[in-house]
Parts: sequence; structure tokens; C-alpha cells
Amino acid sequence: MNLVAAQIVNGLAIGMLYAVMALGLSIIKGLLNVPNFAHGALFAVGAYVCYTLSTIGAPFAVALIGAFSGAALLGFLIERFGIANLTGGSYLLQVLFLFGTALVIEQILVLIYGTTGVSLVPPAMLGGAMDLGFMFLPRYLVFCALVGAFSIVAVWLLIEKTRIGSSIRAGIERREMVQCLGIDIGTLLTLGFALGAGMAGLAGGIALPLLGANATSGNDMMAIAFVVLVLGGLGSLYGAVAAGILIGVAQSLTTLVAPSASTLLIYVIMTVVLLIGPKGLFGER
Amino acid sequence: MNKNLLALAAVVLLAVVAPMVIPISIANEIIVIAIFAMATNLVIGVAGLYSFGQAMFFGAGAYLTGYSLTAGGLSLVPSILIAIAGAAALAGIVGAVIIRRSGFYFMMLTFAFNQMAFYVVLVWSGVTGGEDGMAGIKRAPVGGLDLNDRSVFYAFCAVLFVASYVILRQIKKSPLGLVLEAAKENPRRMASLGYSVHGAQLAAFMISGAFAGLAGSLYVLLYRFVPIDSISWIMSGNVVFMVVIGGMSSMVGPIMGAAVFVWLQGLFSLLWAQWALLFGLFIIFVVFTLRGGLIELFKRVARIRRAGEAHHG
Repeated sequence: MNLVAAQIVNGLAIGMLYAVMALGLSIIKGLLNVPNFAHGALFAVGAYVCYTLSTIGAPFAVALIGAFSGAALLGFLIERFGIANLTGGSYLLQVLFLFGTALVIEQILVLIYGTTGVSLVPPAMLGGAMDLGFMFLPRYLVFCALVGAFSIVAVWLLIEKTRIGSSIRAGIERREMVQCLGIDIGTLLTLGFALGAGMAGLAGGIALPLLGANATSGNDMMAIAFVVLVLGGLGSLYGAVAAGILIGVAQSLTTLVAPSASTLLIYVIMTVVLLIGPKGLFGER
Repeated sequence: MNKNLLALAAVVLLAVVAPMVIPISIANEIIVIAIFAMATNLVIGVAGLYSFGQAMFFGAGAYLTGYSLTAGGLSLVPSILIAIAGAAALAGIVGAVIIRRSGFYFMMLTFAFNQMAFYVVLVWSGVTGGEDGMAGIKRAPVGGLDLNDRSVFYAFCAVLFVASYVILRQIKKSPLGLVLEAAKENPRRMASLGYSVHGAQLAAFMISGAFAGLAGSLYVLLYRFVPIDSISWIMSGNVVFMVVIGGMSSMVGPIMGAAVFVWLQGLFSLLWAQWALLFGLFIIFVVFTLRGGLIELFKRVARIRRAGEAHHG
């Protein structure tokens, strides 16, 4: 029982990471309609920025903000100077551009930090475990779930309650109409991509004390985020959040019975959902 | 008809001349990877299904051949046939699940399945060798031919390369190919005309998987080793890149794309251990400059030359 409870908490924390990753992808997909193949590399950038800032003595909160900002800045550059200039050509060129960018980012990370990977001990305040009487709860897992939830709520507020958010929603809905209303769609797309990229970086930062990082560790995350996005249904921006948490918990519970099958389980769930409900769990436009 | 023969003659000529002008090992890798690129062009260029998981089939062929030859103790030809059949079957299973998805969905799902295949290979290290790959592969003689001789092995691959070109080109021109190309433009209309669009797409996906498996199998025989990279998503991205830079309008384009890729990979890896960085930069450069593929570049050069001649004349 205790074990199950512990795995559920663990699953919630991991699931929040998936949800943050997938929500970023979802925003980028909605606005630009490209699968962001650099999402995994941006995740790694976030992890390494967080690592570097922590090792030079910055507080963990600052390191996380850095992880978000670093990846968002990169995302800004990728969109403004890359994707925005490729809109006239074939769709595949944008995808290939993102693939090439992912290679370059990963290799630069290898160049700076080497191939062995890094890890980080969570700050003292977040280390250790809380005694709940019936189980011990690692503090960092709780923190992970809370920061994930907090950032998802922040993005939700940004998108649903602010002027720029309503422009983003309108941009997803009817791009030409938004342009006709005099809103600068180019800037909107750049901001949307930067936001999505920033979320990948934030997920990388949060995940660092939990999973460690190396230059290519984002690719597994990216694959799972793609699955989560498909499961959530591409039409709904927030379906990804629910699907992410669901996957995280399901994966964690599987570790109890068959540890090595827990990653495979994600793909099994995806296959089953696609076969019986092709629109994903929360519908598709 | 004439044009077809001309293209075939060019492909045969390329296969014959290549080992004379460049090192035979590089020429051999080019024709093997070219089979992979042509197979990928069947789904991307002909059917318009943007698969980002082709390495799954290349890798399946590679590992099946490696396993059949080492632990399986089979001879060469059955090992290659198992690789082809296994890769086609894998494509059939994956395709059955995802073929109804299009565009964005299809790309993400092929990538996700590719990553799953990579994960299985990584975890199942008792059989696959995990991160270290699978070594100790020998080229058993086939019908008295000693494939350990580099030229004999090249000839063996060259025959399969030309055969793959002819078959894939015929498929492109066949009713199946026409249905695929028409469905790329307007799937609903093709469906209402009574064609089974998803059936045709699944068939193309499986054929592509089969040839990718063949390429993976030959790749393993060439290097006597199965690297785990053969099933990684980077390989999937690379082959999309080959198809795009070569041009998708014919099966000759992907061959050129494969040649450029293999040649550049060799060149960059000589320059710097971090060659993947140079390669990534090259992809970005190409994406911005060659929007219509190499074929478009040749046309552009020809146009400039013609304009120059007109100017002088």
C-alpha cells in the first residue's frame, strides 16, 4: 500500500514533467503546425543551464528561471531566424531545419560538457524526505509536481486571461483572420515558439536532480512528449496535461510489477488508444 | 520509355564507375545507403507520408541479419531474406496502427515508434549487445562466391542496388504508385473513387520497410558489425535529409542524396571528431539554399549557363 502510494507520488512528479514538455509542444504545434524535433535538445539545454548556474552558486530557483529563459531565448532565435524564413518552401524543410538544429545543439553541449553527463543534488531545503506517518515522501518529488503544476497554471493564465494569450488562441484558430485584425502574427509565432521552447527547458531543469542529464537525454523525453500529445488529442491544448499525468502515474505503477517494461508500457497505451479511439483521449479538431 | 532506359543506364554506369573513381568501401556504403534512401522516397516522395522512423526498419534489418548470422547460425541468403521479411512485417504492424494518421500525427508517431525500437534494442542487451552493438559477423560464401573479397562483395551489393532501383521505380510508375501520388494530392477524392487509400499507403509503407531492411542487412555485412546508431532516430532524420537534398521527383534523386551524405560524413569525420556538429550545420545551410533538392540546383545551374550562352551568343 505504502509502495503504491509512493509510486503514485513519483508518477505525479514525472507526469508533471511530461505534461510541461507536451504543453510546450502543443503550443508550438497549434501555432506553427510543426512537430518540434528540437524539443529534446531544448530540454537538454535547460538541464545544462540549470546545472551551470547551480555550480556557480546561484539559488535553485534562479537556476530554474535560467533554464526556462535560456531555452526560450534559443527558441526565439530558432523561430525568428530559422522557421520564419522557411514558411514559403516545403513543410519538410522546416522539419529538417529543426532536426539539424537539434543535432547542432546536442553536439555543442557535448563539446562544452563532454559525453558523460551531469547530475545535481537538490538543494538542502528540497532534499530528504517528509514523514507522513504511513510513508516517507521525498521532498524533491513534491517540489517537482508543484513546480510543474504551477508553471502549467501560469501558462493557462497567460493563454486564457491575457491579451497576448487571446491573440495566441486566435492565432491557433484562424491565422489569417488574426492578421486581418492588424495583429503582428510573425511576432506572435515567435513568442509562441519561445514559450514552448522555454517549457522544454524548464522541464529539463526540474528533471536534472531527478534523472540527471546528458546531451541526448532529451530525446527519450521528446518521444514520450510526442506520445502524450497524441494521447491527449491534438485539438485540445490541455489534453496533453491530463495525458501526461496519466502516463506518468501508469508508468510509475508498472515499475512495481515489471520495472523494465515501464517505458514500453507508454507505447502499448498509445497503440491501444490509437486503435480503439483514434482521436486521442480528449478529441482532435 | 527512352528516358527510363537512359536513367537505368545512368544508375548502372554509376554503380560500375563509382568504385573506380572513389575508394571502394565508400562506393559500397553509398550504394547500400542509396537503397535505404530510395525506399524512404517511396513513402515520403511518392506517398507523401512523412515518416520520421525509417531507421526502425533499417535497424530491424541490421539486427535480424546480425542475429541470424551469429547466434542463429544461418547462412547469408536466408539471413538477408529474414531481414527483409522481418522489416516488412514490422512496418506492417506499425503501419496498421498509424497509417490512418496523416501529416503531423504521422511524423510524431513514426518517430515515437522509432524511439521505442531503439529502447528495446538498448534494454535487450543480452541479444542485441545494447550500446556496444553486435560484433563478430562473418560474410559466409554464397554459391562459391567469396564475399570477403571487397570487389566481389561490391558486385553483390551493386546487383541488389540496381535491382532495388528498377523495382522501386516500377512501383512508382505502377497503378499502386499512381494511387499513392493521387492520394497525396487529394485522399478524399481517391477514396470516393473507390480506391483503398489506406490499403495502398500501408502497402507502400511495408514495401519501403522491406527495402530499408535489405539496406540495413547489407550495411551490417559491409561493416561486419551492427552499430546501435543504425536504429537511432538520427538515422531516420539523415535519410529524410538525403531524400530532400536529392529531390523527391524520381528515384535517382535519393541516390544522389545518399552519395552526398556518405561522402560528407566521411569528409567531416576526417576533419573533426565532432563531425555531427558540422553535419547539423550543413543541414541548416542546405535547408536555406537548396529548396528544390540537388535536381533543382542542377536545373538552376543549367538555366544560368543557358542564360550565359544566350548572353554571349
